[in-house]
Amino acid sequence: MACSRDHKRLIEQYLDEEITLAEARQLEDHVKVCPDCRQHLNELKKTVAIVQSASHFEAPEDMTEKVMNRLPKQTKSKKWNN
Amino acid sequence: MDTVVKKIVREVKRGNQEAFAELMELYKDKVFHIAFRMLGNSHEAQDVAQEAFLRAYTNIHSYDESRKFSTWIFRIATNLAIDRLRKKKPDFHLEDKVGGTENLDHYSRFASGEELPEDQVVKLEMQAWIQQEIMQLPPKYRSAIILKYLEDLSLKEISEVLNLPVATVKTRIHRGREALRKRLRES
Repeated sequence: MACSRDHKRLIEQYLDEEITLAEARQLEDHVKVCPDCRQHLNELKKTVAIVQSASHFEAPEDMTEKVMNRLPKQTKSKKWNN
Repeated sequence: MDTVVKKIVREVKRGNQEAFAELMELYKDKVFHIAFRMLGNSHEAQDVAQEAFLRAYTNIHSYDESRKFSTWIFRIATNLAIDRLRKKKPDFHLEDKVGGTENLDHYSRFASGEELPEDQVVKLEMQAWIQQEIMQLPPKYRSAIILKYLEDLSLKEISEVLNLPVATVKTRIHRGREALRKRLRES
């Protein structure tokens, strides 16, 4: 990448959502004139979007039961009593 | 929510096992999901998730109630997943193509028997691809990326789960993100 470390740092800050308004403007202006940084930023944005689109899996239904069956035995007196 | 969790935790600390089942119901999906994304395999993910809850139960007295329960249980689960990855070192490597592919079975379960429309196929392929790429990341970047982008934790929370300074977490996310970007480019 031909661009300065500063611009790379701004891209990271932007993606970490830790960029100030002034810095965001600076980055915006820069990517308008720098195709390398523009591409880099777009690719990273796309990467993040794809990873965020990963499905969420649920635990197997019987997992709680399985774990409960493996807990050390408890004495009756300690059970819920309300 | 937090006060409810606190109340349940106190019950568990008093020795009430049934309360622990409630606690599990609240967190089992997330714990399983983190383990699944770390290991790329639902069988192992189940093992790790169950083990994490068993350890949480046994060590419930060491849980500090001023912190989020989720942070604590995620930490136990992440550590167990990383231990497991370490133990199976030879078949797990950056270049290893096999590691993440078991989830293909997982996905194809939904697809059994019937013809899928094209866009469904594309979706499944994309999902399989994501997991495969996550599995290509070294575990230390993988855990940071999972917690950040799949569990949507803040950098501060991730630093607590992984027991690392925020600056280190950031570096790991940056490197993980960059590695994924490069692979996306090549594919």
